[in-house]
Amino acid sequence: MREMTFTDAAREGLAEEMAQNPGIFVMGEGVGTRGGNFNTTVGLYDLYGPKRLRDTPICERGFTGLCTGAAMVGAHPVVDFMFIDFELDAIGELFNQTSRIQYMSSGRLQMPILVRGSIGIFGSAGPHHSGNYYPLFMHVPGFRVVVPTTPADAKGLIKTALRSTDPVIFLEHKGLLFSKGPVPEGELLVPFGKASITREGTDVTVVAVALMVQKTLEAAKQLEQEGVSCEVIDPRTLAPLDVDTIRDSVHKTGRLLIVDEDWGPCGIGAEIAARIVDEAFDDLDAPISRLNGAFAPTPYSPSLTAGMVPNAQTIAQAIRDLLAE
Amino acid sequence: MAFEVVMPRLGWTMETGTLVEWLRRDGDSVEPGDVLFTVESDKAVQEIEALERGILHVPPDSPPPGTEVEVGTVLAYLLRPGEPLPRQAQDAASRPPKVAVVPEASAEAPKPGTAAAPAMPSRPTTAISPRARRVARELGVAWESLTGSGRTGRIVERDVRRAAEAARVAETSTRPLVEPVAKEPTMPAPWAITQPRSKPSHGTVPVTLTATADATELVRIHEQLIESLASRAQAVPTYNDLLIKLCGLALLEHQRVNAVWRSGEIIAASDVHIAIEVETESGVVAPVIRDVPSKSILSLADEVRELTQKVHGAQLKPDELQGGTFTIANLGEYGIDAFTPTINWPQSAALGLGRVVEKAGVRDGVILPRYHTVLSLTFDHRVVDGGPAARFLDSVCEYVEKPSLWLVR
Repeated sequence: MREMTFTDAAREGLAEEMAQNPGIFVMGEGVGTRGGNFNTTVGLYDLYGPKRLRDTPICERGFTGLCTGAAMVGAHPVVDFMFIDFELDAIGELFNQTSRIQYMSSGRLQMPILVRGSIGIFGSAGPHHSGNYYPLFMHVPGFRVVVPTTPADAKGLIKTALRSTDPVIFLEHKGLLFSKGPVPEGELLVPFGKASITREGTDVTVVAVALMVQKTLEAAKQLEQEGVSCEVIDPRTLAPLDVDTIRDSVHKTGRLLIVDEDWGPCGIGAEIAARIVDEAFDDLDAPISRLNGAFAPTPYSPSLTAGMVPNAQTIAQAIRDLLAE
Repeated sequence: MAFEVVMPRLGWTMETGTLVEWLRRDGDSVEPGDVLFTVESDKAVQEIEALERGILHVPPDSPPPGTEVEVGTVLAYLLRPGEPLPRQAQDAASRPPKVAVVPEASAEAPKPGTAAAPAMPSRPTTAISPRARRVARELGVAWESLTGSGRTGRIVERDVRRAAEAARVAETSTRPLVEPVAKEPTMPAPWAITQPRSKPSHGTVPVTLTATADATELVRIHEQLIESLASRAQAVPTYNDLLIKLCGLALLEHQRVNAVWRSGEIIAASDVHIAIEVETESGVVAPVIRDVPSKSILSLADEVRELTQKVHGAQLKPDELQGGTFTIANLGEYGIDAFTPTINWPQSAALGLGRVVEKAGVRDGVILPRYHTVLSLTFDHRVVDGGPAARFLDSVCEYVEKPSLWLVR
């Protein structure tokens, strides 16, 4: 099968959907002739011109509101935030309008809008360009929150997002953008709410988010030498969250670790832990464990940053600790 | 460290035991192997030895002799010279002992609420993971006495599975009493209901079938045996002994009825060990005759007599009460025709023998005096269906009516 980078695969998905649906247009800073800060729209300007690839000034709240209005009247806008941190300047529009229009119109208006941006601690991006923020969107009713980790999933999920009539937050970890993987030719749609078991195992279940899936797979490989069999689950979409797959895995292993580079409090780990205690209390052989990034703003310094986020070694140790519980 | 002396579990199904008497006194120095006290369980009295060296300390709140207590109840401590009592024993001094039944002395036992310090419900000291608790329930493991291997001493799934495995191995290696011929998954529907409870006998679904058998031929054989063996020292087999033997042979052909619970599942046993109910002043005791089908009627008769004597002399060992796969009770001598015998868990069925009575019977269209007896089979309907139970009872009747069918085997 052909190999592609994460970014190329996601862009292929966007291009395919733009070709089929003339209502799709992209708006954001540098999405036109520049092709997007992270190459999200390279080549598309030549095909579709300034009408469907609209560069904007730095006015997040303005273009987010504009796109929300366009979605209300039948277009399918893509808001490209470059860094998802910039969505913080549009949060009032997103939370108060974008997420609620369908509810407030009793379903007479739909909200087909894709909000995308890079996330994660990578490449010394510093305090303003390293956020994850998925718990923020998971917390609000109305949003779909998508966090792909492989090129194939990036393509399959962006295509599903561009056929959805709900607002979708599409988050791409900077550490994954240039990773390569197999992407099948032809139509590729990955459903929302279906987790991927990226490695099967019997001793412990590890749910990992975004870049942490790769790091956890490295740790699982190390632990295999020690005779530990890890099951690694990539939720792929955080809203809707596939609790069933996690529960079934915990039923098998009895132990659950959630690895997430984002801050711990009120995070995805807390949510998964609470849901599993609700649904699988009698399957748990140990307390549910979380491994998160340090609860502090992200520094510029590479050496400081390295100590902030989980890596294969710290994940392996967290798994060993959980097995000793 | 203080070593707890507890009511031991002397058999797989033992839940309580009676402390009969202390053979060493409070303050005595004891060595490993010294007999400390005697315990009565299932009507057998056994001596219990010290496992550690130390000075015997029987706390004031220890259950008095004659008291029936739960297995695991702390009866005393073995201390090193000068060692104080462990804290929980001191605390316990103000609590009434864990007493299951207090014969006679019940009037003196402190009633809850009137004691100087009322018992406080304390938080369980043993932690167990929810999963381990669930698995213990499924496998029928009493987890309270396990040692946890979790980081904080918590009992986790592996501890429970190890305990279940150890119990299974202990049962099959040290007591090869029954060999499984078939296990649950191959059984028809009722066999699948295998959720044992802490006291599984509570879940028994007893159903009783009765059938009348013409025992004339068997009575005749019994009379011939009395005649021919009268001059010898040999014990003459009773009518009851003949029934034990033929019943054992019938069980060989109907293994579904010869089934026992073990480690949370039902096993159709290929070995036939029959428990014989014997009346005593203090209740019914059921010693077990092993491998009934392979024994001659004469040696069976000897063994039944010997075990009955032991019952009356209270000399039975716990071993001799264990491992039965089926029970026979005989109330014929009391003039009873039919009754509902009790199933002895972990067994699945019991046969009740009624009196043998001479009545008018019809043979080939002619009314003749014949001996009749009523056989009552009670079985656990969770384990055995009506059909297999009825076929077994029919076989037993046939063997009673035509002894030549099995006497030549």
